[in-house]
Amino acid sequence: MAAQETSQSAIFRHAFGNVLSFTVLLLIGVMAFSIRLFSVIKYESVIHEFDPYFNYRVTQFLTKSGVYDFWNWFDDRTWYPLGRVIGGTVYPGLTLTAGTLWRILNSINIPLSVETVCVFTAPVFSAFASWATYLLTKEIKGAGAGLTAAALLAMVPSYISRSVAGSYDNEAVAIFALIFTFYLYIKTLNTGSLFYATLNAIAYFYMVCSWGGYTFIINLIPMHVLLCIVTGRYSPRLYIAYAPLVVLGTLLAALVPVVGFNAVMTSEHFASFLVFIIIHVVALVYYIKGILTPQMFKVAVTLVVSVGMVLCFAVLAVLIALVASSPTKGWSGRSLSLLDPTYASKYIPIIASVSEHQPPTWPSYFMDINVLAFLVPAGIIACFLPLSDASSFAVLYIVTSVYFSGVMVRLMLVLAPAACIMSGIALSEAFDVFTRSIKFHLVGTTQNPQENAGDATKVTQNDVKSEKSEDTVKERSSRKSKKKDKENIEKPSLVSRVEKRLLVLPLETSVMAVFLVVLLGAFYVVHCVWAAAEAYSAPSIVLTSRSHDGLHVFDDFREAYAWLSHNTEVDDKVASWWDYGYQTTAMANRTVIVDNNTWNNTHIATVGTALSSPEKAAWDIFNSLDVKYVLVVFGGLVGYPSDDINKFLWMVRIGGGVFPHIKEPDYLRDGQYRIDSQATPTMLNCLMYKLSYYRFVETDGRGYDKVRNTEIGKKHFKLNHFEEVFTTHHWMVRIYKLKSPRNRIRGKTKRSKSKSGTSKRSTRKKNPWQ
Amino acid sequence: MAISPTTFAVAALLVISHLSLLTTPATSLSSDSLLTELSDLQSQSPTGVIRLSDSLLRRIVSLPTPRPFHALIFFDAHQLHSKPELSLPTLKSEFGLVSASFQSNNPNFKSKLFFFEIEFQESQSSFALFGVNSLPHIRLIPPTASDVKTESIQMDAADYSRLGDSMAEFIESRAKFTVGPINRPPVVSKKQIAFVIAVILIWSPFFLKKLIAGNTIFHDKNIWMAGSVFVYFFSVSGAMFNIIRKMPMFIADRQDPSKLVFFYQGSGMQLGAEGFSIGFLYTIVGLLLAFVTHVLVRVKNKNVQRVVMLFVLLVSFWAVKKVVFLDNWKTGYGIHGYMPTSWQ
Repeated sequence: MAAQETSQSAIFRHAFGNVLSFTVLLLIGVMAFSIRLFSVIKYESVIHEFDPYFNYRVTQFLTKSGVYDFWNWFDDRTWYPLGRVIGGTVYPGLTLTAGTLWRILNSINIPLSVETVCVFTAPVFSAFASWATYLLTKEIKGAGAGLTAAALLAMVPSYISRSVAGSYDNEAVAIFALIFTFYLYIKTLNTGSLFYATLNAIAYFYMVCSWGGYTFIINLIPMHVLLCIVTGRYSPRLYIAYAPLVVLGTLLAALVPVVGFNAVMTSEHFASFLVFIIIHVVALVYYIKGILTPQMFKVAVTLVVSVGMVLCFAVLAVLIALVASSPTKGWSGRSLSLLDPTYASKYIPIIASVSEHQPPTWPSYFMDINVLAFLVPAGIIACFLPLSDASSFAVLYIVTSVYFSGVMVRLMLVLAPAACIMSGIALSEAFDVFTRSIKFHLVGTTQNPQENAGDATKVTQNDVKSEKSEDTVKERSSRKSKKKDKENIEKPSLVSRVEKRLLVLPLETSVMAVFLVVLLGAFYVVHCVWAAAEAYSAPSIVLTSRSHDGLHVFDDFREAYAWLSHNTEVDDKVASWWDYGYQTTAMANRTVIVDNNTWNNTHIATVGTALSSPEKAAWDIFNSLDVKYVLVVFGGLVGYPSDDINKFLWMVRIGGGVFPHIKEPDYLRDGQYRIDSQATPTMLNCLMYKLSYYRFVETDGRGYDKVRNTEIGKKHFKLNHFEEVFTTHHWMVRIYKLKSPRNRIRGKTKRSKSKSGTSKRSTRKKNPWQ
Repeated sequence: MAISPTTFAVAALLVISHLSLLTTPATSLSSDSLLTELSDLQSQSPTGVIRLSDSLLRRIVSLPTPRPFHALIFFDAHQLHSKPELSLPTLKSEFGLVSASFQSNNPNFKSKLFFFEIEFQESQSSFALFGVNSLPHIRLIPPTASDVKTESIQMDAADYSRLGDSMAEFIESRAKFTVGPINRPPVVSKKQIAFVIAVILIWSPFFLKKLIAGNTIFHDKNIWMAGSVFVYFFSVSGAMFNIIRKMPMFIADRQDPSKLVFFYQGSGMQLGAEGFSIGFLYTIVGLLLAFVTHVLVRVKNKNVQRVVMLFVLLVSFWAVKKVVFLDNWKTGYGIHGYMPTSWQ
């Protein structure tokens, strides 16, 4: 009777625990989604920044024309006159995901626009990512740790920075794919099921579709396999988890056009093949060990080892020869700079100059993972006690990602899930010990232990964490008993129960500790909400500034793009610096010369040269490219610092890199970049200066630039070859039209004009750029 | 252009072979004798860089133009070798490398381009002759230059920014000599590599045996644990930033040079000591927490538990508070919650 009752109550508790975790997970999903809506609330539902506009445009095309047309899409609206093959040069995961979402929603009669779907893709996928984190951490250390980790990931600032509503970029879905792939790998490792192994390969395929960061997976998992082998943890489950992933995963990865044969040709993938060979050798050794007697095995070992080693060395030699024959040793610059951190700063200035590729300082960690930085070491140690296949993977993940994040601040994004998992484990263990101590002491002193214990934890813990830490114990035990059946790597649950009784801490210090840990959690929540609301929500297409007389909204960019789309011909070409290329094609639907996919340096240099040349020369270059309109971004009136004048030296540098007659020193007075009366004549006569400051003196009478904090050098001038056609409300975007050639040549008949015009153009075709 | 280097080469070869036959350099022409002397000096020096004295320089300069060779001079000062921002020792060794590579790649042009170095202590007058008042300074004297101060070409900072490679480019563009690939000595010599490979080959069977038995240093999880925590500490302290940017541990205060600055205000930069101390604070809290949850619970004595825990809580609280304070001070962010207005 009694036994039946206890078993029934155990079933009830188990069911209750499951429902509770499900509810908590649901709430975590809601939180992950809603914390990313600050950008929509504070601004509006728009796509952010630059690259997301390209993704948005591709998604639009996909929803309109279907997958096959998307796959074969040659885009003639950009890089005029070269064009760009879109299907073969993008990671299609994000666009396909959003396109599918849109299609599903429409087929069930929810008529959302493509833009809305794109805006909210990232928040939706962060909810998925936190659920994936739950699954992964549950496999490593149980459901309690899983729920904590999921809650932490739902609001980790580093991930928020890439996935606020409107930031429609690859990373938004890629982080989910990354965590989910890891989960399936660990799941396969724990169960040895081929079903999960296949799913794992498919998840890996999705990751390859989504982001170039998939190379992290295909190097981390082999590293883990190798680690398991070296530390004597080889098992058939390991083989099942790894071999199908390499074979299926590589085949699937090669299907993605942008990866293609890179999946077998580049060094980033060689580690996986090498480990693939090693695991087969090891599997053979274990197999032979199984069928032979110990004495026979000793004899065999010498044989097998020598043959295996010879084979390994032969393959290794071939690999090394292959790798050494390529100039960069088969590694891309970015990967090399990860292995040797000083590589990029020495040899690749382009990579080194991008701010995302800088090494971070310690405040970056505090900004991006906040208090998790304190908790991670505890999680690492918890993973070692006891060490399982799954927890060793978690340790490897955190160690590699924290090292990489130390080299490149951008990879903080990969560190964030690992930090959340580790901190989740640490927090869950801490709560486990402290609440157990409190419970133990209260059982000894009061009549009604269960109720009181529950109250005590409820009082001290405020948010979601209370439920989590409570059901940690329950879930733990049930999981343990399950696990015992499959594997006897962990201690029998009975022993650990007995141990748990004894392992307690004093009551008052435990209460204090719980209080402090909750305080730490509360600080984390405050920081994350602050970061989401203040630091990472600005869409940078709409700007706001707060001054004493209220909020100012600067919507000049969209004003300008709307003007372009309404007042210019469909086939007109618009020239601007490459930063605004994606936005122009997506919002104004006009052809641009260069855009943010900076694949052709010469073309960018041509535009840079034109903007750094005097008016006439610039006109010639632009005319030879069929440009009708030139767009410049100018912040001098309102004090918007990232305008074209501030980027101008890069235009000069890049232009001068290809066309040597543009020399940087010509634009600098004594090495200083200035636009005031001390500026060099070359600077004051270049097109960028003229287009930015044309009629600027009319605004306040003296031409005071609020960004450079100085009066401009040349105030009154006329444009001969360009005419101003549109300037936005705050002067942030100015659009000029190229005057047609007939205004340029006076005193000739119309016929001879056009003839001479064309002949001149054809003879000048090479000339204006060199 | 294409012909003249060949004829030069033939002429030079003739001159050299002719002169080398003579046991004592009979001085028929002053330029020939000087060339022989320079060639001698060149072959004596291991890198082929000739130490220039005041008298030797005077003799070179006094040769009638066009002189039969180019001269590339590296201005050196021993007393400035200790200044890291000038990186004179690096440049000097790179200069030597370029010289050695040039001479081994172009044996025919050995006496067409000589590499010299001048030491400030010995030849101050030569420094004055060229008007050199700041280092690093590298100068090329073309054969046609009669007035060395104005007609010689100074190497720009950009031309030795990439060390030997850019120096070679400078020589190629100005003196029209191809230096060819720069032969850097390998980090480990061939003998060392062979030795290491031999050791690995001998050791690997034993290691494999141990590995199969499951009894190596890799099977001790404590080592892995310490290693992972160390990597974590190393990364979050921003040590990679210090290595890549070559940050010093601390700097002297601008206003008061006797004071040392350990913490730099502004989030784009950090100092070495600063990074390590914060990295230590980041790590210590987690380690203490792990200590409490895994070790302290096993201690039987209640009072020991109490005292240690109080200590741990205090230290952790202080560490977190310190980091939060320093972060706000360094970055200038004011993190605040979004409380309802009625609460205030």
